[in-house]
Amino acid sequence: MSGTELETIVEHCRKELPSEACGILGGRDGRVESVHPVKSMHPSPARYDMDPAGQFRALDELSRAGRELVGIYHSHPGGPAAPSGVDLEAACWPGTTLPNYPGAVQVIVSLQDRAAPVVKGYVLTGGTFIEVAIAISQESGGTRAGHR
Amino acid sequence: MPVTVRIPTPLQQLSSGKSEVVCSAGSIAGLLEALELEHPGMKERLTEGGKVRRFINIYVNGADIRTLGAETTELKDGDTVAIIAAIAGGGEITFS
Repeated sequence: MSGTELETIVEHCRKELPSEACGILGGRDGRVESVHPVKSMHPSPARYDMDPAGQFRALDELSRAGRELVGIYHSHPGGPAAPSGVDLEAACWPGTTLPNYPGAVQVIVSLQDRAAPVVKGYVLTGGTFIEVAIAISQESGGTRAGHR
Repeated sequence: MPVTVRIPTPLQQLSSGKSEVVCSAGSIAGLLEALELEHPGMKERLTEGGKVRRFINIYVNGADIRTLGAETTELKDGDTVAIIAAIAGGGEITFS
């Protein structure tokens, strides 16, 4: 993703403090091209649940733009940039270890140190999150969508 | 009443790899039965105790059925039903 997209994500996560923020990343071939902040239904410092209407609108927008869901981001306002047990459970189809969004990178923004956010990416494979590198490019080709 | 149903990736193993199927049903409850008939195992993946599972969202023409009539939501000819996994999670609070 570009530095601008990363800034959009971190800015959104700061804006939602002390609650967790969440959103969808659109793009192609693993490259992020658009950031779609979505409201959480029940804002909390330790949970997020994406508003279903906002989620649908974001996915519809991606589809219309010929993009795919390449990532999902959320913040951990008081925890590390690592998936929690809740993250793992929620990323799998209920009662299975099948990923809800195969191949999608789960981007977690830790705001434990407010002055120095930590951003890491994970992919769910075989019921486990594996950390993947997030490459930041200098170019700014992406788009920033409004709050869903 | 034929409706188009969008099947999420984790359930496509039950729909022979199809991302869309056409079913005849007059309501969401009827659709769940029709899906089970055509694609055994689907109902168990989608419901619990007769209700749509908590972390599964079903939309009729883009509207969340929880804002309509939930399982009693009526369907009409040509409707598009999308089954989409909810997105949720959360971290632990370890302020230092």
